[in-house]
Amino acid sequence: MFRKIAVAAGLLAAAITGPAQAQDYPEKPIEFIVPWGPGGGSDTLMRIVAMGLSEVTGQAVPIVNMPGVGGTVGLAEFTKRPADGYTISQIHEGLYTANKLGITELSYKNFIPVALVTSSPQYLVLSKNDNFSNLEELKAYAAANPGAVRAGVTLGGVPHLHMAMIEEALGVQFSYVGFRDTGERIRAAVGGNVDIVIGDVASASEFVKNGDLIFAGVGTEERTSEEPDVPTMAEQGYDLSMAVTRGVVLPAGTPDEIVEALDAALEKAMSLPDIRAKMTNAGSADIYLGHEAYKAYLDKLDGEVDKVVGKLQG
Amino acid sequence: MMLDAFLAGAHQVFAFDTLIYMLIGSVAGIVAAAIPGFTVTMAIILTLPLTFTMGPLQGVSVMLSVYVGGYTGGLISAALLGIPGTPSSVATTFDAYPMARGGEPGRALSLGVWSSFFGTVISTIVLIIAAPPLAMIAVKLGPWEYFSLIVFALTIVASLVGNSLMRGLIAGVIGLGLATIGPDPMMGQPRLTFESSVLMPGLPFLVVLIGIFAISQLMGELEDHGKGPSSDALIPDVIEFKTWAVMREVLMHPVNLVRSSLIGVFIGALPGAGGSIANLLAYDQAKRSSINPDEFGKGNPDGVIASEAGNSATAGGGLIPMIALGIPGSAVDAILMAALMVHGISVGPRLIMDNADLAYGMFVAMVVASLMMLVVCVLSMRLFLRVTDIPKQFIVPTVMICCVIGAFALNNRVTDLYLLGAIGLVGYGLKSLDYPLAPLVLGVILGPIAETNLRRALMSDADWTVFFTRPISAVLLAAALLSVIFSIRSVLKMRKKDRPATDEQNGD
Repeated sequence: MFRKIAVAAGLLAAAITGPAQAQDYPEKPIEFIVPWGPGGGSDTLMRIVAMGLSEVTGQAVPIVNMPGVGGTVGLAEFTKRPADGYTISQIHEGLYTANKLGITELSYKNFIPVALVTSSPQYLVLSKNDNFSNLEELKAYAAANPGAVRAGVTLGGVPHLHMAMIEEALGVQFSYVGFRDTGERIRAAVGGNVDIVIGDVASASEFVKNGDLIFAGVGTEERTSEEPDVPTMAEQGYDLSMAVTRGVVLPAGTPDEIVEALDAALEKAMSLPDIRAKMTNAGSADIYLGHEAYKAYLDKLDGEVDKVVGKLQG
Repeated sequence: MMLDAFLAGAHQVFAFDTLIYMLIGSVAGIVAAAIPGFTVTMAIILTLPLTFTMGPLQGVSVMLSVYVGGYTGGLISAALLGIPGTPSSVATTFDAYPMARGGEPGRALSLGVWSSFFGTVISTIVLIIAAPPLAMIAVKLGPWEYFSLIVFALTIVASLVGNSLMRGLIAGVIGLGLATIGPDPMMGQPRLTFESSVLMPGLPFLVVLIGIFAISQLMGELEDHGKGPSSDALIPDVIEFKTWAVMREVLMHPVNLVRSSLIGVFIGALPGAGGSIANLLAYDQAKRSSINPDEFGKGNPDGVIASEAGNSATAGGGLIPMIALGIPGSAVDAILMAALMVHGISVGPRLIMDNADLAYGMFVAMVVASLMMLVVCVLSMRLFLRVTDIPKQFIVPTVMICCVIGAFALNNRVTDLYLLGAIGLVGYGLKSLDYPLAPLVLGVILGPIAETNLRRALMSDADWTVFFTRPISAVLLAAALLSVIFSIRSVLKMRKKDRPATDEQNGD
């Protein structure tokens, strides 16, 4: 009898302390592993997210850059950390391509998606040239000259995926040239060393304004507020969605209360006016998907990537 | 209009709080760079979140003062410990360290500081006058030109070989080989990693640099313990630095100073190349055009001037494509751009037109930052030289700890520490066998750039004759050929000179 009471009391205590812990969360600094090097898109955006999270929770959120092998070194280390909410990390579409190309065993299923905090719409960008200046002309030229159009991408990365989607939709053939990051690709397009690239507003819009580059289409459902004159790919007859989204994740096995608490804290952080302005300046669309919505997004994306993954291996 | 923008920019930079922050930034940059294993980039990343709360120009000015200070700080450990404090001060060790060991540590430091100062100023002048045309050239260069440039840069191995050409070439090849370990630069597929998680991310350049130079140098210090007069301190206790006399000495080498600075500006303006290449290239050119190249490596002031003016000038050079076109010239410039973007300033080809006060403010900030670096260094030189009084049993372990922390802080990977240990042993072994270490480091720096651009060139156009038909590429390849011929000739000349004197054949 006593034993039963003791067990019940224990259970009760556990039931009370469980949520109580989540209520106290976070009670110490949260380490934020960014699996990319400093200065890049992920790093800049996540430093702003960390600033907001720190403001909302009152705890320090130090960024730890752990770059290497397409973002997989940092994520591999992250999976070894305790699932207590005091180490968080970030993923984007690159994890899908790295996984499907066999660079890493890890997939998005190894993590608990907490919230999608940024989305950078991706544009098809044309270099100024004599042969084509919009999507239809590109299609006609590429169809007449297979392999003549040089497409700048990060081989095996997200831009490669997007370019392969365009190639398939247009039914043409490009030749791919590999670059490390968006900045490098845009530079090559401005210098006329490649003909088309995948880019974003942050890295390319100044060159478009200056007349060096042309936005031929954007991979969003509706036209973006930053570039209202640029038609979507869907408007032009190609139903493609191209974006780089970045979300905060926790290691598998983290208690639900922690996931919810972090989701709530992030939502609050991302609605701070100062943080929102900084995110927009750094090229992100105003977006927030919580735990469930983010998970649904990732599942849908998985199917889309599977369709074109064969093209990446060539 | 231009004057208005200039004054508006200057007005912001000369605000009292901006100057105070810049002074702190300058000291931070110098100290971070002086510690082997800590780099300028790390110092700038630490400053980045602080600048979020400042105004855009104020934030960038502070980062620029860290940047300029950082290009000088590496000199301190290069001269006093023989360990490059940053990747950009490898060549600085060649002459500054022998000079310091030869009893003139104050002169070595002064020479480096003044050369850095003039290098930065010259690069800023070029930046103000010629940024738009130079940036246009830099951005037009394709993979063919980059590859040819790297081929040319590889030929400077001949200047770095020390006693034996053969051992120097072997070291260079080892460096090129080490650079192929890890994910390939194009597809990210693992190479030579043997499924080991230690080798999977490849060998980070900084880890190789620290392992090769710092560990072997520190082990050497331990071996020398108890031998000779300098057994307690690293350098005999003669502190003499004639600041103004040395300034005159630097200005007495105008050709070397200007040539090295211009090399720094051009290398800096090329996105992807950087201070480490400029430092070695400027040293090589100074050695080749000297009337007595044999004096290099033994404490020749020209060697110190060339290497320090060369690396500091890349600071202004890197800003050329950034200010003129919005394309970062180096990792540090990319972080500067990110800082501006967060403030809502789009950095692009219209920066000078749309944000003239910011662009001109950055020019002013560069000059102010270099003056601050100069003042900080001159005032604190006595303090730096105190380092040489510290007995070896304290300084060697301290530096070793800094190296380990720095190697870890780079990527926050524990596996990098195992690599550091292994590479340190290799470096120590090579040094004991009298292999020169600089060619190895050069191979590690240049190998991946050469591979990336060769593959990129052939992906863009399968026709390899393009390397010879694009004019700039052809000129660079011709320069590489001339450089090799020149080196072979001087080696043959040396042999002829040596043979009658010694019957001994060294076999190399």
